[in-house]
Amino acid sequence: MAQAKATSAPQSRLQDIFASRYAVFYVLVLPAFLLRMIYTVIPIIQTVLISFTNRTIMGGKYIGLRNYESLTRDATLIGSLGWTLLYTGASAVAETVIGLGIAVLLMQNLRLRWLSNFIMLLPWVVAPMLAAVAFRILYFEDGGILNAILQELGFGNAAVRWLSDAETARFSVIAMTVWKNVSWVALIFMAAIGSLSKEVLEAAAVDGANTLQRFWYVTLPLLKPAIYLVLLLRAMAEVQTFEQIYGLTRGGPGSATKTLALYTFERFFQQLRYGYGSAVNIVLLLLTIVIGAIFAWLLYRSREI
Amino acid sequence: MIHQRRRLRNALLYTLLVIVLVGLVFPVLFMALTSFKSVGEVNRIPPTIIPRYPTWENYPFMARAWDFGLTLRNTVILAGGSGLAATILGAMAAYAFSRGTFRGRTLMYSLLVASMAVPAMVTLGPIFIAYLQFNLLDTHIGLILVFTAGGMPLATLLQFAYFNAIPRELDDAAAIDGAGRFMTLFRIIMPIAMPGVFVSFLLLFIGGWNEFLFVFTLSTSPDTQVLTTKLYTIPPREADYQSSNLDLVATAGMFVLLPLVPLLMLTQRQLVEGITFGAVQG
Repeated sequence: MAQAKATSAPQSRLQDIFASRYAVFYVLVLPAFLLRMIYTVIPIIQTVLISFTNRTIMGGKYIGLRNYESLTRDATLIGSLGWTLLYTGASAVAETVIGLGIAVLLMQNLRLRWLSNFIMLLPWVVAPMLAAVAFRILYFEDGGILNAILQELGFGNAAVRWLSDAETARFSVIAMTVWKNVSWVALIFMAAIGSLSKEVLEAAAVDGANTLQRFWYVTLPLLKPAIYLVLLLRAMAEVQTFEQIYGLTRGGPGSATKTLALYTFERFFQQLRYGYGSAVNIVLLLLTIVIGAIFAWLLYRSREI
Repeated sequence: MIHQRRRLRNALLYTLLVIVLVGLVFPVLFMALTSFKSVGEVNRIPPTIIPRYPTWENYPFMARAWDFGLTLRNTVILAGGSGLAATILGAMAAYAFSRGTFRGRTLMYSLLVASMAVPAMVTLGPIFIAYLQFNLLDTHIGLILVFTAGGMPLATLLQFAYFNAIPRELDDAAAIDGAGRFMTLFRIIMPIAMPGVFVSFLLLFIGGWNEFLFVFTLSTSPDTQVLTTKLYTIPPREADYQSSNLDLVATAGMFVLLPLVPLLMLTQRQLVEGITFGAVQG
């Protein structure tokens, strides 16, 4: 997002009058700004404070860093952290790669454009919880459609345990997330490719580069900022995923698909251990900041060059 | 020779296109088809894709079990109310950011952008505790406030981009005619930027419609339940505990999706514009 540019210094008398009455701008901006801060900054401060207590629904007291000490020995947290990283990385990268492929495909001036527009928007408009419902039907294990299709395609009687086997469930969850977001990524890339200078591509064509070479040596480097932007936005969204995983697997089997957000939810809202749940939340927040910082830095650098 | 290669290339591209489109549509399409199956057919092995004996009977059954009217009303109030509030407050902020020079402007703008990165789960706990204390749990207004705050960065940034494209001479002309800032915003700037205002509302409305986590934790009674939180309440069917209820699950899903489909068809262009607005300008 472009940084807001300061308007130029007052030049005319008219602008002088506006500048002297800038109080009105606070009236305009503060309702939105304060409401947003009340619902983000204050809860973050409270989360930090609560994480130093053993507070439950019955109350509690300050216990210093004890929650954080417990976290270092909490196998569920370590597992959840690892899975959150894997899920975030795998989903964001798969969405970006496949989304870029779909964008390039759809920009080949094929017919069916009216149909593809509607279908592209469909997974995006589907609620995360609804995606979970749709995939629960697909992944149904006893005579579900996906297993039936695999059998039809000649994979024998392979009854895949989509949701009840730990490793497979992880794959199933990532596949659902990629389905949900890949068309959004493709739409972003289509807009980005559309805004690239045609002259550069034509010059490459004149120089005898074929389609593949043009894509690899010209389009792709020019798309670098867009690729980093998409990776940033997707990773920031994926790292905090709760809804669609809760809807599909509840974090199971066992804790195989329990992201940090799901683990926080379990501690905070199901066991009502506010102190410990808040400490898990802080881990999630720090992870978000780290991931955001890395990709924001990559994005910044890609614009420099 | 060249002709042949082009034909081959096109065949390949269309095959890929069909695979992609089928892959994208199939999960939703199969859910829609499943909702028209009878109990007997949904439990058939191997399963059918297209129902052989399509039936409507799941729809009235689920509508009764859900109190569909009330749930739909709650969803519209929540998504519409918060969408409207965030669009108006966001327009005011966007206008100030676009036209004003005031102390703290860059800081406030940056904080709004940065706040988009805060995971919902991190804020949810303290909001829940505060709502418990202020008796805001299970109220429409409490939920609308959360959703409005959630939509604020998008509403502000999107409309900021649209307002910036409007020449400042219009503001000056309005000022000469004696219009104040509020009048200028609501009577001149917002009507001109109506496509952007509408896109902002549309994205917030769909976002509010699809939200689950906040309602799930901050609402406790049927009076404030919305469609997405009802997805859990699949009623038991009399006298057959053995069979799966995927047909009812699918029907529940259709209740969430169907009202959005006409909206999606009518506003495709605006939606794509809204979704991609940040990508081009970077």
